[in-house]
Amino acid sequence: MSLLRNLRSGLRSLFRKERVNRELEEELGEYLEMSADEKMKQGISRKEALRAVRLERGSVEVSKEIVRSGGWESTVETSWRDLLFAARMLRKSPGFTLVAMLSLALGIGGNTAVFSVMNTVLLRYLPLPNPQQLVFLRLPNGPPDGVGTTGDEDKSFSYPVFEALRKEHAVFSDLMAYMPLAVDKVAVRIGEDPEEAEGDMVSGNFFSGLGVSFTRGRGFALEDETAHASVVVLSYSYWTTRFGRSPSAIGQTINVKGVPFTVIGVTAQGFYGVEPASSTDFWIPLQNRFELTAWGEEPSLDTFYGAPKWWCIQLIGRLVPGVTESQAMAKLDPIFQSAALIGLGTPDPKEKKSILAFSSTQGIQDMRDAYQKPIQILLAMVGLVLAIACANVSTLLVARNATRAREFSVRIALGAGRGRLLRQTLTESFLLVAGGAAFGWMFAISGSRALAAWSGTEIPFVLDSRVLLFTLAISISCAIVFGLAPLRRAVSVPVGVTLKTSNATAYRDQGSSWSGKVVVASQMALCLILLVGSGLLVRSLRNYQTLPLGLRVDGLLVFGTDPFSVHSDEEKEHFYQNLLARLREASGVESATLVSHRLGSGWGWNSVWAIDGVEPQGSFSEIGMSANHVGPDFCHTLGIPILRGRDVTDVDARSAPKVVLVNEAFSERFFPKGDALGHSVTTISSTAVGKHKLENSFTIVGVIGDSKYKRVDEKSKPTLYFPFAQYTPIPNMQVELRTRGNPEALIPSVHAVLHGLDPNLPIQKPLTQRAQFDESYSQARLFARLSIFFGVIAVLLVATGLYGTLAYRVDRRTPEIGVRMALGAQRAQVLWLILRESLLVGGAAILAGVPVAIAGARLMRSMLFGVQPGDMISFLLALFGVILVALAASIIPALRAVRVDPLVALRYE
Amino acid sequence: MSRKPSDLVQGTLDMLILKTLALEPTHGYGISVRIEQISKGVFRLNAGSLFLAIQRLQRDGLIDGEWKATENNRRARYYVLTKKGRQRLSSETREWGRQAAAIARILEASWG
Repeated sequence: MSLLRNLRSGLRSLFRKERVNRELEEELGEYLEMSADEKMKQGISRKEALRAVRLERGSVEVSKEIVRSGGWESTVETSWRDLLFAARMLRKSPGFTLVAMLSLALGIGGNTAVFSVMNTVLLRYLPLPNPQQLVFLRLPNGPPDGVGTTGDEDKSFSYPVFEALRKEHAVFSDLMAYMPLAVDKVAVRIGEDPEEAEGDMVSGNFFSGLGVSFTRGRGFALEDETAHASVVVLSYSYWTTRFGRSPSAIGQTINVKGVPFTVIGVTAQGFYGVEPASSTDFWIPLQNRFELTAWGEEPSLDTFYGAPKWWCIQLIGRLVPGVTESQAMAKLDPIFQSAALIGLGTPDPKEKKSILAFSSTQGIQDMRDAYQKPIQILLAMVGLVLAIACANVSTLLVARNATRAREFSVRIALGAGRGRLLRQTLTESFLLVAGGAAFGWMFAISGSRALAAWSGTEIPFVLDSRVLLFTLAISISCAIVFGLAPLRRAVSVPVGVTLKTSNATAYRDQGSSWSGKVVVASQMALCLILLVGSGLLVRSLRNYQTLPLGLRVDGLLVFGTDPFSVHSDEEKEHFYQNLLARLREASGVESATLVSHRLGSGWGWNSVWAIDGVEPQGSFSEIGMSANHVGPDFCHTLGIPILRGRDVTDVDARSAPKVVLVNEAFSERFFPKGDALGHSVTTISSTAVGKHKLENSFTIVGVIGDSKYKRVDEKSKPTLYFPFAQYTPIPNMQVELRTRGNPEALIPSVHAVLHGLDPNLPIQKPLTQRAQFDESYSQARLFARLSIFFGVIAVLLVATGLYGTLAYRVDRRTPEIGVRMALGAQRAQVLWLILRESLLVGGAAILAGVPVAIAGARLMRSMLFGVQPGDMISFLLALFGVILVALAASIIPALRAVRVDPLVALRYE
Repeated sequence: MSRKPSDLVQGTLDMLILKTLALEPTHGYGISVRIEQISKGVFRLNAGSLFLAIQRLQRDGLIDGEWKATENNRRARYYVLTKKGRQRLSSETREWGRQAAAIARILEASWG
């Protein structure tokens, strides 16, 4: 109440200054008049009386000043005036202001961007009400034996388990089920042209249980689940990109794998589904149609809706408030254990038991392990950049304030309080930080977008209040770090000394020049550390890029297909033969082939096969093999050398004798004498526990060179290549096309071919094979690029900082240099005088920085590839870089020193 | 005047102004005259500190001001104690009494 009144009154004096001033003046005037009236009663003249009153009680002006300074608004007013003054001073030296603000912006922005990534990956909750109540259900040691799984074995459940657990309302206020319609994207058609989108099938309580709000329309109800309704909800971002936020999207039809659905709602902005690393475009209720199976699995009775042995459902639950994890588990475990056995019969007591567990929805669990360490290293890097930036601004400010010593002295001599002076200079620092933080924030927004794109996360990194607070915190620490340090000296200038001496010789004490050198030396040491780190990461990246892949990677286009209307092996073989035949005729296509697992995608097929009817013995790491379904002309199209035997051809059809190609690693491991051709490979199928049956024998008809399969940095592994139609069931295939020109130029003709086969068929994730392989080390690439970026920033900052300091010192030493030259010093000697100083500083920086860099490099070991942490080349390059920066920054000031005219310099003294 | 007027004990001016206004609403000059009269010239206020204190009290909601004509046909701002001001005065008076008595006891203490 009284605070409000105080505020109102203060604001009134701020904004209705004239009126308040007039009132105060009138009141004071009356007061003095009344006192004078009293005095005049004792018989003094009015003039005398007024004079006496002024002496006794104080004049109107002085009293007014006292009253005015008593309110808080006067502080605001002086601060505002300080701010205007500081802005004027900064405008007067735009170069300094720009460099200082940009330094800070890079430091603050870099930190903010990296922190925002950390926030998203490690800290942030889903943007839903009471997100801490939400938990993912997990199976740390996988589902029971003998069930069908999706590959996400630790997070998939069966229908009976879901139905049993969702009834447990004492634990979950809601248990929501969701499962993707495809491993990646699913074919959809809105209007004429087919395309792809990410879609999930969800339980009826999915939106209500999560608490998702809606921009348009409604979510699902339980009836939509039980009726398997043909309705679809769009995400806000899909509605934006695909429908331009048109309200008429509601009611439109979307064909998912050819099945029509009606749009009934659009979720609120910011909801991208519950898997934070990917964004879902649309949701449909759980479906019981063969076309729409979980994960786009081949339709069969084992993978149909409700199949008890098909563990495909992902679960997220909202815990009842107050229920602890152990209470929840005690209730859920017995229910889970009995539901888990439905459809499995009596379990073998020796078999492993599945364990139910919760996992937090905070951050991105799957990314945490992979990204925690790199993010910490990144934070350390940007921290170093910030330290350098602060040191930089600090040196610049010292230099600037030193040249302003005269100005300060004059102002102190004219009666300015030291406190006031301090406040004004602090205001200047504050303005610099504010400007830097504002630029930094803009930089952070684009920076975090780039980080998101590079790290392959689909969710835009959010700059939320936590990030804002972080930025404010580091900005304030910046202001304190560099704002206060130089000011202490600026205002403790002895007035007399500065005013008496000439500008050039004023207060050049040994102490200050020492601290300047120390700051620059530590900056250079930090820069060295950063450069070593960048060097190591860049060399790792080079190793990734120059690693021989074992195939001719340029000129290849790869894309996926999902012929969802084709089911039997016979139809599939025909479909792909037909597709290959049409593609080979397309203009620009030199040759074409198929693979079931796209090279460089990280996906692969690992198993063990019997050789000549004998199962190899040993651990999986010794005898494990990779395999791939391949199409005709596989080696020819990919450019893999055939060492012995032949390539896969059109002859190797489903009905032809079964054959297989093996790679060199396979031949060396199992046929060290080099006689692999003609031997046989047999699939091992398990019938019951411990009993294996051998069936489907394949004859080795070719030995081909080793080539990279899943990723660039893998070691060669024995690998089998089966003609795609001979190893049934035939999976969905990826197509590899070789061309002479730009592979991406083929995409339109591929579209045309696919459209000709089936208008519902989209082209899935077309990429050049080179780009696909690059994806397998995208993290290394991301960090190498970022570290180059930060390294360059550090070098620039150090260079400007060093230049600023040196230029300032040369300026100060102009008279000394003049004297030296007048006494006969040669230009070379003067040049050396200046350069020696920076080389000495650089040398000290190297001595201090190298041990720290060695220690830091060890911490990065896990991120390096083919480079040792003590890599000489990286260290030498960094040393060379630092010395180069030192010399480059000194050369202009040194040349200026050489050009000093002794006469001019001496005249100033 | 033989003796210089004393400086007020820190923080007591507000209390004195409240007390003066509790007797009768008056203007700035009236307040200072009252204080001087009652203290027999021990306390003399200058205009700056008086009006600073008035501004403070007003912002704290302890007193209210209003422009009126004086008996000598001048215009002046008359100040009135608010309800809150009255409460503050009584609590401060009590506190002051306690402290003054305590101080007096300390000063009068003797070895014995």
